[in-house]
Amino acid sequence: MSAIEPFAVFDCSLARLPIGRSCSNLRELLEAIRTVPDMVIEHHMTRCVLADYFDLNEFPNELAHWCWNMLGDHMLAEQLGLIDPYQHDSINSLRAELINAIEEHIWGIDRVPSCPPGLELHLVGSRLVAYDTGERITTPTALAEALPLLSLRSYFYHVHNARRRTAGSSDDFSNWLESYGADASLVARLRKIDAHFLNLSQVRDQIIEAFRDYLPAPQLILKATA
Amino acid sequence: MQLLDRYEEVVGHHEVERLRRLASRLAGRRIVHVNSTRVGGGVAEILGWMVPLMQELGLDVHWEVISGPADFYRVTKAIHNGLQGLPVALKPSDFDLHYEVNKQNAAKLNLAGDVVVVHDPQPIFLPAFTPQGQVQRWIWRCHVDASRPNRVVWKHLAGAITRYQATIFSMAAFARPLPCPIFMIPPSIDPLSDKNGPIPEAERLETLNRFGIDPERPLLLQVSRFDHFKDPLGVIAAYRMVKPYYPELQLVLVGGPADDDPEGAEVLREVIEHAGEDKDLKILMLPPDSHRAINALQRSAIIVLQKSLKEGFGLTVTEALWKGKPVIGGACGGITLQVHDYHTGFLVHSPAGAAYRIRYLLRYSDKRERMGRTGFEFVREHFLLIRHLRDYFTTLLCLDHPGEADLVA
Repeated sequence: MSAIEPFAVFDCSLARLPIGRSCSNLRELLEAIRTVPDMVIEHHMTRCVLADYFDLNEFPNELAHWCWNMLGDHMLAEQLGLIDPYQHDSINSLRAELINAIEEHIWGIDRVPSCPPGLELHLVGSRLVAYDTGERITTPTALAEALPLLSLRSYFYHVHNARRRTAGSSDDFSNWLESYGADASLVARLRKIDAHFLNLSQVRDQIIEAFRDYLPAPQLILKATA
Repeated sequence: MQLLDRYEEVVGHHEVERLRRLASRLAGRRIVHVNSTRVGGGVAEILGWMVPLMQELGLDVHWEVISGPADFYRVTKAIHNGLQGLPVALKPSDFDLHYEVNKQNAAKLNLAGDVVVVHDPQPIFLPAFTPQGQVQRWIWRCHVDASRPNRVVWKHLAGAITRYQATIFSMAAFARPLPCPIFMIPPSIDPLSDKNGPIPEAERLETLNRFGIDPERPLLLQVSRFDHFKDPLGVIAAYRMVKPYYPELQLVLVGGPADDDPEGAEVLREVIEHAGEDKDLKILMLPPDSHRAINALQRSAIIVLQKSLKEGFGLTVTEALWKGKPVIGGACGGITLQVHDYHTGFLVHSPAGAAYRIRYLLRYSDKRERMGRTGFEFVREHFLLIRHLRDYFTTLLCLDHPGEADLVA
């Protein structure tokens, strides 16, 4: 067990970078998706979850949110809401799916919807600044105890951003538990959490709940020490 | 006890610790803030708490203030208005005065620093007159909506902006394409200030009593200057649509004196005329430092309105949410970032829409309370000064590592 590195708690913060450009109708959105830097696509499709406390349980990205609420285009909003950015291994691939969905939708409608003045989509990119909090966790039990104290930003880093960093579908918590030798069913349960369709509070609650369900029987977690 | 320790009660020990941890990456960094006044106005208010907190966090921060003749402030006031798109009449000599005063200040201010943050347009030309090498990076922090500026004013300022390495705006909607990176840092509130901190119940009741407001009956409140864009007449119309169903309802519109603002005085006259003899509808004119009275009124309201037709960020909305009040707000500007239907209140598009949502919220006390709790948490997470500091530090770290890539600090 001594070879297992402790879990290093990270926090993060976003530098938001507006590009001084906005969209007021679907054609402008399509043109923007084709031409904006990658960081803009990434921000509106994934990182926006950091800015939103609760709305994303309806739509997991800002493009769908804007189409539903500001354009009143519910059909496209539903389509965009279903696009999972973590199923794409590159922003270009994600961009292509977005372009295809919007192009197809515009093709089939008579009138391109516009938003009222003042409710435009202002395009923003972002850079993630992650930093080591210095906190180290050495056992799954200690991790379970620490979870309620982590910031929502830490959950973003260890769950959402982990999926980008590891080019896989797993989060830092389950990866560490796996390397620790914890029970495979806890690891599997954590990996089953559909973080993309939850806001960060819900992600936190589900992760805490998963640990809580296993804590009464710590021997299940600490299989390696059993 | 350090200044930051006080905020642990609000955001928790861990949150403050993490801010300290992030700030440690910038320890010793020499930061200079420059603006045009040490007292009065939103920028001075922000720097009043930001400078000591940044110092406590280990950065070498100081605050410089430019000075100039009275005519300079007339010119910069016009430039400030022009930046926000208002029509202004400025002569070439006015622009010359702007340059000249900046030149004089560059010679006398202590600007040596790793980063100099220049607030708003008054000191914007300082980089042009500061010796090369004295400042590593210049940041222009624009606090107003510059998305549709007056053309002449923008042409005057655009020449200065090319000397900056970055700009900061409060909202994405306030920015326009620029040759350097644009960062977005929304404003914030100080949860321990007179305006937003807890107040004794006796003081709250005394405030209501002083203004003739019945503490036992529901109170609707809008706090904002008397301006057509804040739609005070729309608020009165909405109140009147609800009043027959809830005769016990009271409405208070709070604003500041409008003696120096001819348009404001005219709107106020209209509002008073419109209010008529209704004893449950009060128009309060409070001095600019009435923070505790406004705090008491916001805490006493059952619903807070901000039925603007055009809005900047809308910090009065933030203040109300922080006090656990659902907000009915006009669907514009920063209100749309804070008011989310069924979560923290309702966005509305007309007096009828406001009336409908007032009736809805009066009817469902459980929803009111739930929205109040959500709003409070929303502000705690996103719009307190701790987040504001974190955003500044994040910006500074990004400037140390230019480009688009993420970074581990």
